Amino acid sequence: MINRTRRILIRALALTLILVLTSGCASLMSSAATGLADSLSNAVLNQNDPETARIAIPAYMVLLDGILESNPDDPKLLVAAATMYATYGAVFADSELRASRLTTRARSYALRAMCNTYKESCNWPEMNYDEFVVSVQGVKAKHADILYSYGFASLVYLQAHSSDWNSLAELPEIEALFYHYLDIAGDDVTPSTHTYMGIMLTLRPPAFGGKPDEAREHFEKAIALTNGRDLGAKVEFARGYAKLMYDRELHDRLINEVLAADPEEHGLTLSNILAQEDAVIMKEEADDYFF
Amino acid sequence: MTISSNRIVLALLVTAMSCCATADAATFKIATVTPEGSQWMKDMRAGAAEIKERTEGRVQIKYFGSGIMGNDQKVLGQIRIGRLQGGALTPSALGSRYPDINLYGMPLVFDSEEEAAYVRKRLDERLGAGLEEAGFVTFGFAAGGFANILSNTPVRGLADLKGKRVWVLEGDTISYASMEALSLSPVTLPLTDVLMGLQTGLIDIVAIPPIVALVLQWHTKIKYITELPLAYSLGFMAIDKGAFAKISAEDQAVFCEVMTAIYANLDQQNLVDNRGALDALINSGIKTTVFDPAEIVRIRALLEITNRELGAKGEFTIELYDEMIGYIEEYRSEHP
Repeated sequence: MINRTRRILIRALALTLILVLTSGCASLMSSAATGLADSLSNAVLNQNDPETARIAIPAYMVLLDGILESNPDDPKLLVAAATMYATYGAVFADSELRASRLTTRARSYALRAMCNTYKESCNWPEMNYDEFVVSVQGVKAKHADILYSYGFASLVYLQAHSSDWNSLAELPEIEALFYHYLDIAGDDVTPSTHTYMGIMLTLRPPAFGGKPDEAREHFEKAIALTNGRDLGAKVEFARGYAKLMYDRELHDRLINEVLAADPEEHGLTLSNILAQEDAVIMKEEADDYFF
Repeated sequence: MTISSNRIVLALLVTAMSCCATADAATFKIATVTPEGSQWMKDMRAGAAEIKERTEGRVQIKYFGSGIMGNDQKVLGQIRIGRLQGGALTPSALGSRYPDINLYGMPLVFDSEEEAAYVRKRLDERLGAGLEEAGFVTFGFAAGGFANILSNTPVRGLADLKGKRVWVLEGDTISYASMEALSLSPVTLPLTDVLMGLQTGLIDIVAIPPIVALVLQWHTKIKYITELPLAYSLGFMAIDKGAFAKISAEDQAVFCEVMTAIYANLDQQNLVDNRGALDALINSGIKTTVFDPAEIVRIRALLEITNRELGAKGEFTIELYDEMIGYIEEYRSEHP
């Protein structure tokens, strides 16, 4: 499960670093520090050794907690913290317990951010599906980024708690949330949203109400929006759609494209390297899976 | 060399040749609607890998998951012509080949999981043998939990069901007849159309185990769950007997050992999962209601008449039905 989304999460983590070191510490940091933040963010995104990233990132998580101590209600800071904890919990946590702990904290930060900007959302955890769907429709475009953050943190939380049936029960709410996000985000939509949608819509086979055709469109959009350079989107397209539909030709084409591609791409290197690691395994397993 | 020892050598040669003849790699293509990524599918894939390894590649299993091979009838058709060698199925799929496999799933037969377990301990082997006579090798059954009533208005008794459109899975003749016997309005729909049916009001009531309700996301379209053990569900792997006979006895033993262990584990795990799924449904805001116990007695009396009529029509073996009821009464007298 952890492999499934870790590449797309890596980029979210890097964006968090920018937010943390530019907006959160605005009063503390000079323009020189802002430059440092950009550099650090790029260093994570362009890191071609995942282990280095794993060791380096926790220091920033602690830094962020410290900044939040004195700015507990700042939505931007809370979003940054949510993204940071969610990403690290999903990508690098080495046990279910740690993943659970980190993603629970991530979701809590994201809910606080949402709650501070849209009061009704403070009650989202207590709402049933129908109530949630109505409520989420009330989130305006100006808060799309915070909604995305809550959706992202929730998705990662549910993934880390996938052995809990409550997570499965909650999944339709997150699907509804991202549908609304896509409606309000316009041209600023985060491309990985389409990958998340593709994953969610292929969790159920067509015979059980899954929507593979719609999922395919989302995967293709995620790839198109990054000009095919997001290798993680291709891996998820192969894993989520091609395997579900037993489309070996598509599966092999996508996997071969990922393996043949140069992973070095500004802002995508680390996630592309992780995608290639997954692609190697998927290629090895293909003969056993397909017929 | 004596005649006797010659015979032994000959027998060994024949055995060896027979082993050689069956030692070619055999691939079992097995269809299932089980979603990829589910524990059930993960376990079955792990079983396939173990069988491949322990038979040194002589026996391979390939799954056609996600319902890609179509409905039960299509799967059975493919097995008949040899394109598939088996399926991970539910009783309704093989009801036409071996009607008694539907016995456990008859409405309101059991009161509890414990009661079902008591009966299954005594009858599972017989049902497995019956399936084998009908042409399928099986490896034990895995409980899928009880189907509970899911609805948008509380269901506490028969009166709450009157006038409501109650979903029955296409091909489930026993449930359909039972609904009619209770003067209810059954509506037959394939599984794929139920969510839309609930959305559009084509159906009002469905009955399904909590796990399945969550996986299919039906919980987003209903408000109440009645914790009534309406019908006991099962899953099992059935392999075409002819195809299975083509692999060596040694490989058959490995296949049986691995898959039987997997299904025994799923049998236990599914009970735990169903309880977890029921709790999750309740946590998601769905309210529970209790069915009037006096009504259950009344409904059982009505269904008893229908069941006997169905047995007389050949929907199942009436003697086996009576034996099952006998075990249930035995359990109830031992556990008042």
